[in-house]
Amino acid sequence: MRPLFLTWEYPPYKAGGIAAHCEDLATTLADQGHEPVVVTYGDKEEVNYRDGVEIHRIPSTDSANDTLSWAMHLGHQMEKKAIDLYKNDKFDLIHAHDWMAVPGAVGLKKTLDVPMVFTIHSTQKGRDGVDSSYQRTIHNLEWYGTYEASQVITVGRDFSEEVKHTYEVPEDKVNYIPNGVDLEKFDDHTKNLNRGEFALDYEDIVLFVGRMYPQKGPGHLIEAMPDILDSSPDAKFVMVGSGATEHYKGIANQQVGNKVLFPGYVSDANLLSLMKEARVTVAPSVYEPFGIVPLEAAACETATVGSYVGGMKDTIIHEYTGLHTYPADSGSIAYQVNRALNDPGWSDWMGDKARKRVEENFQWEQISAWTVGIYRKAVEN
Amino acid sequence: MKVLFLTRCFGEGEASTEYIKSIAHELVEQGDEALVVGFDDGAYYSVDERVEVTRVGLPFEGDNMYNWSMMMNNELKKEAQDAFGDEEPDIIHSIDWTAFPGGIALSRHLDIPLVVTFQSTENERGFEGDNAGVISELEWQGAFESQKAIATSEDTKNSLLFDLDVPEEKIDIIDPFSDNWQKKVLTSYRETLKQKTEVNN
Repeated sequence: MRPLFLTWEYPPYKAGGIAAHCEDLATTLADQGHEPVVVTYGDKEEVNYRDGVEIHRIPSTDSANDTLSWAMHLGHQMEKKAIDLYKNDKFDLIHAHDWMAVPGAVGLKKTLDVPMVFTIHSTQKGRDGVDSSYQRTIHNLEWYGTYEASQVITVGRDFSEEVKHTYEVPEDKVNYIPNGVDLEKFDDHTKNLNRGEFALDYEDIVLFVGRMYPQKGPGHLIEAMPDILDSSPDAKFVMVGSGATEHYKGIANQQVGNKVLFPGYVSDANLLSLMKEARVTVAPSVYEPFGIVPLEAAACETATVGSYVGGMKDTIIHEYTGLHTYPADSGSIAYQVNRALNDPGWSDWMGDKARKRVEENFQWEQISAWTVGIYRKAVEN
Repeated sequence: MKVLFLTRCFGEGEASTEYIKSIAHELVEQGDEALVVGFDDGAYYSVDERVEVTRVGLPFEGDNMYNWSMMMNNELKKEAQDAFGDEEPDIIHSIDWTAFPGGIALSRHLDIPLVVTFQSTENERGFEGDNAGVISELEWQGAFESQKAIATSEDTKNSLLFDLDVPEEKIDIIDPFSDNWQKKVLTSYRETLKQKTEVNN
């Protein structure tokens, strides 16, 4: 199969999880003998080939005054590029990732008469609501994507239901395919961390990884920190991620002083090392369609304490691969983190089980095969 | 010769509608064909019965004209292709920036010359509003990707020349209040087609 991926981000350009998702899926599809082509944003027009994937980068505009019109412009540019590519080698289908790819994908579908598959990674409603006309337009674009797509892929089981209800998508059009992790990346990585930069020798690292926004719940973890330290004084909180870092850093420092560290930018290599080194990872999100952090931690044999929301209902099995907390509940977070810290043997055991579960259920080879099944459905329809 | 017109609006009294109707009438009078694809805003229109008109809806609400237009063009492209079927047009004529994206995409895909009409440019309109920059960029793209840019006035021609850097040889000034202006548009089409034939040969 020759799918055309339309995505606004593809590594090395990364803002959220879509870039990594697209790269892992495209690379695995190529490994399995397919011919994925990616059209994505770049500072300048260029093409490169990496791991069997043909990647075309297209600039957008400097004139847009918001992300929405920027995405509209990018969509038009991506469409023009894809039309030219199609003349030399046809695509079997267009695979759009998230709302920013919808304008271009729908345009191509209508111009080339090629089926469209739409992966929706999160919804505007879930991210920050549908109150302003700007937010409503993004919401409408998401609806339009589900309406025009032959098949819709969602990354979480609960999230599938959210998508069906929010956009009134017919049951038989929505497919749940989880995200995956590239275990090789984790296994090839040798832990080479200057641990002293993050914690003292005797301290147990409690790791948060994610954007510092309310959706990811860093504030709830910060609220839980004093209670955690009461019971587990050797805990050291390491908060990795961009966003409103200074805001959360100020609050956390007031709460627990030097028992929390916001290291700012952390390289991918150091992040993997931190995940391997952490006693436990905490994912206190209040909205999480999938949530890749528990899987990445699991790949590092580290258990996750995560909210019982969205995709984390599936990616964490309570008391087996990690611990669930009530969402937005600092008392619940403190209780479960303390359980993990106070029984390190059990935490290690959960980490081992989490890793095994990832090996059995969240590998890209499997996810890619499922995705090809969806592609075939779209093409046959 | 068969001409496909793409337009945001097609309703009685609209300047662009009257513009298209006049050219389309001239085309069919001369034994050529005209197909108009526009957005269906429910407005009434009357047109020579030899002119084929099809209008499309858009199940999408945008927060401004720019975003709405970008999505509306997707519907125009689909409707146009359904309407002309296997008999592709010889020329695509997009009226105003709101119909440029569709014209550009179809022209590229089908390898059919594109003619664009500017009744004004964003610079002439004052370059105001949140999306002035992206609209102007779209106007530049329309001029750049087309084989012929028709300006309806000397002022607009000057704006195309000096604001959008359009090559002078690409621009025709055809004032829709001048005598026989419709015939001049048809001459523009024929010159564009002739150029294409010469390039292909």
